[in-house]
Amino acid sequence: MGFVSTVLGFCGFGVGLSAGIVIGYFLFIYFQPSDVKDPKIRPLVEHDSKSLERMLPEIPLWVKNPDYDRIDWLNKFLEMMWPYLNKAICSTAKQIADPIIADNAVKYKLDSVEFETFTLGSLPPTFQGMKVYITEEKELIMEPSLKWAGNPNVVVVMKAYGLKLTAQVVDLQIFATPRITLKPLVPSFPCFAKILVSLMDKPHVDFGLKLLGADIMAIPGLYRFVQETIKNQVANMYLWPKTLEVPVLDVSKASRKPVGILHLKVIRAYKLKKKDLLGKSDPYVKLKLADDKLPSKKTAVKRNNLNPEWNEEFKFVIRDPENQFVELNVYDWEQVGKHEKMGMNVIRLNELTPDEPKTLTLDLLKHPQSRDVQSDKSRGQIVVEALYKPFKEEELPKDVSENADEVEKAPDGTPSGGGLLVVIVHEAKDLEGKHHTNPYVRVTFRGEEKKTKHIKKNRDPRWEEEFQFVCEEPPINDKMHVEVLSRAPSIGIHPKESLGYVTISLTDVVNNKRTNETYHLIDSKNGRIQIELQWRTS
Amino acid sequence: MGLISGLVMGALVGIALMAGWSRMMRRRSTKRILKAADIKLLGSLSRDDLKKLCGDNYPEWVSFPLFEQVKWLNKMLGKLWPFIADAATMVIKETVEPLLDDYRPPGISSLKFSKLSLGNVPPKIEGIRVQSLKKGQIIMDIDFRWGGDLSIILAVEALVASLPIQLKDLQVFTVIRVIFQLSEEIPCISAVVVALLAEPKPRIDYTLKAVGGSLTAIPGLSDMIDDTVNSIVSDMLEWPHRIVVPLGGVDVNTSELELKPQGKLTVTILKANNLKNQELVGKSDPYVILYVRPMFKVKTKVVDDNLSPVWNETFELIAEDKETQSVIFEVYDEDKIQQDKKMGTAKLSLNELEPEISKEIELSLLSSLDTLKVKDKKDRGSLTIKVLYHPFTEEEQQAAQEAEKRILEERRKMKEAGLIGSTMDALGGAASLVGSGVGLVGTGLGAGVGLVGSGLGAGVGLVGSGLGAVGGGLSKAGKFMGKSVTSPFSSSKKNGSSAPVVPGDGNAS
Repeated sequence: MGFVSTVLGFCGFGVGLSAGIVIGYFLFIYFQPSDVKDPKIRPLVEHDSKSLERMLPEIPLWVKNPDYDRIDWLNKFLEMMWPYLNKAICSTAKQIADPIIADNAVKYKLDSVEFETFTLGSLPPTFQGMKVYITEEKELIMEPSLKWAGNPNVVVVMKAYGLKLTAQVVDLQIFATPRITLKPLVPSFPCFAKILVSLMDKPHVDFGLKLLGADIMAIPGLYRFVQETIKNQVANMYLWPKTLEVPVLDVSKASRKPVGILHLKVIRAYKLKKKDLLGKSDPYVKLKLADDKLPSKKTAVKRNNLNPEWNEEFKFVIRDPENQFVELNVYDWEQVGKHEKMGMNVIRLNELTPDEPKTLTLDLLKHPQSRDVQSDKSRGQIVVEALYKPFKEEELPKDVSENADEVEKAPDGTPSGGGLLVVIVHEAKDLEGKHHTNPYVRVTFRGEEKKTKHIKKNRDPRWEEEFQFVCEEPPINDKMHVEVLSRAPSIGIHPKESLGYVTISLTDVVNNKRTNETYHLIDSKNGRIQIELQWRTS
Repeated sequence: MGLISGLVMGALVGIALMAGWSRMMRRRSTKRILKAADIKLLGSLSRDDLKKLCGDNYPEWVSFPLFEQVKWLNKMLGKLWPFIADAATMVIKETVEPLLDDYRPPGISSLKFSKLSLGNVPPKIEGIRVQSLKKGQIIMDIDFRWGGDLSIILAVEALVASLPIQLKDLQVFTVIRVIFQLSEEIPCISAVVVALLAEPKPRIDYTLKAVGGSLTAIPGLSDMIDDTVNSIVSDMLEWPHRIVVPLGGVDVNTSELELKPQGKLTVTILKANNLKNQELVGKSDPYVILYVRPMFKVKTKVVDDNLSPVWNETFELIAEDKETQSVIFEVYDEDKIQQDKKMGTAKLSLNELEPEISKEIELSLLSSLDTLKVKDKKDRGSLTIKVLYHPFTEEEQQAAQEAEKRILEERRKMKEAGLIGSTMDALGGAASLVGSGVGLVGTGLGAGVGLVGSGLGAGVGLVGSGLGAVGGGLSKAGKFMGKSVTSPFSSSKKNGSSAPVVPGDGNAS
């Protein structure tokens, strides 16, 4: 008897429990409003000490740490833009999600799945500080502290077998400190080729997930489990040193590497105009490649000749075959006074077929734009032979910046056991000469001397020049002498002078394969020089 | 018995469970909402807020200037500068060169960059302020300072000689206003408007040096370059003038953002009194140049040998922004041999005018409009004018806008045909075009074309003096204009007024 009553009691408990849950559900949950209200935000002045205390852990980093910068202007900007961003993001997300949902609905025999509401709420993400790191490498590192405690409301309604199920995501909160690295930096807009994003900490994620109006995340233990799972998932993908890579530019194109060589032979000109009062003109040709920093090249001067023959060949390194052009200027040489221009024309590289020599006869014009209104006043013609040779794939110089962290292999032919010592002279800062500052760098290693170009009147010169020394064996105990000198101006009483020197021990580079450091110059007030060293072994 | 008690117990436990759950839900929900409110609040702190939050331990390194400091942006700019400088050099060459050509003063036949390097010193952003004065727009003011060591060598070809001019030690202090027009499609910004705030007045200083020669080789050259730079800055960039850059992808109507003719000014130059004599022999031969925008200058007749000349000439000028614009009057002494000398200048800000009320005003002439530069308090005489401001209706506005566009187009064409040296040369002719364009809304087009057509013919006749008949010359000009399209260089010619020149770092947005 007692046994039966116990069994009945358990049965009753079971039935009662389910009935109770149903009653409770309708009593406490079902009739609760499910719409999301905007949180009331009182100004901080009205807060009491208790709520202030609650806020303390959330104090922005720029208040706590002097090395973080305040970016409230960006917060303000985001706040104003948020209503627009919200709509834009939601409509895009819907567009992306809809076809995926439609596919799956067919697969799982659902009648319909649709978003009832989709909004990111009224609260924009905020940045609680921004930190920028500067390294010696060609990169920029930013670390914003991002906090988004929003009030989004996403309701998905599923209908299947005549039943209706709603799932709602509310109060999403994401706190993260992403590290955004822009690298490598390149000399064409937007000045970087890749964006790398990774997270410095596991992000904090919190949200409410309501199924049929009941927040599942409020079940004790479940929220913690879900949060941990999400954190670990995200951490697996993006926690530093894992990164998300977004390419922006093609590195090889953007860094404006040489892609070919133009061979240009100036053959002859004829029917040039007479410019001198006595005798004929003394013509020579000046050639200049557009957007090139190199000075223009000149042919020899043909004295007293209006139909000169030069037959001189020139080479130009081409970086942008689409837009670059060579300007040919014919001048009249003059012993005294200004050399007079006799005419000019241009050769556009995109008019040439690669690897196909072409002989061009060009009319000489007054200006590149001039349509030569006075056609009777011909300035003569010039004959040139042009050949554009693009580099073959394997000839293309290897992209150093792409794998700057890895040191390249030494080329073939280096002695085994030895290697190649590469010195890259980047830049110097705060140089100061007594009489003149036209700095260049002299690198001395085992008696071998290499020099950079000199840069006129510049205290913060950039050379970016690379030198190579072949070594029979690792230069473990060797030293390298780097001296910055100033070249005297062409006419001057002061001889060349030293702006400072530094002696670098090569032990570190042999052990580390690569170093990139700024050294303080000895015998200089504040001078510093940045030098990159690489030790390449086969 | 057991069943019933079990049922009751079960139901009670069930209800209690649900009650507990819903309580939990509410608790977590309020916690989240509170946190959201806190974060939002901490996103824009003021000094008082922080004081309250930190109490006695207020961090000393925190300050709240009107323009928020952006040390991190400057750091980035410093690192990026060598790369930006390289990239910008190309862009500047492409966009500024045609501009220089448009604003090239008469007397200089070609103005080009022969060397352009932006130097080692990056610009500095002193601060940024963000505000919203109009719905759907965000206004960002950037306090921009650049004491750069840039070096620009301009190849200047004047009628008498050509020489390279170096421009160096540039200093720019200005507040850049960037307006973002918001839209509801990604990237959410449909257009960007860039301008320099007129107040505080942009300061652009530089030194000019002739390479291998002296600036005095071409008299008045340094003034000419100053004028050119000033006109470009004040006519293109200084508020209310602006550059509108529509962002790709979103098709929006940016016409609302652009500067549009707002009204018509009818200015009658009546007379001048007590002008200072500038000539050694006889008296000066004064005439007046007046303009609202330097691109549209008009000129009176020359009155010979008179220090109190009476002109009684009426002009019509277009105003774009009554609040900030002003009419500039410049009195010159015509000199047949040398360059014309400036006898004085005066400014009348349009804000002082009431619409549709004609007013006679006497303006005293100054040596320069820049009050900092005026050294002497010498009396230079006065200028008497009569002004009437007429705000446009919508139709009139459209007509005026079209007329303006057409004039610029015609001028450009004439320039390509080699008729006028610069877009600014066409002083009188353009003014009459403005008048006809506005007055005859319906027939303005025909009249305008007629005028330009005849001007073209006459001009070609003059240039090709040896060629014979005017008709022949015309057909020739047509031929060359046709040729110009295929010429390699003219393809890079851009419409100067819409060329995007966005100084500063692209990452700033």
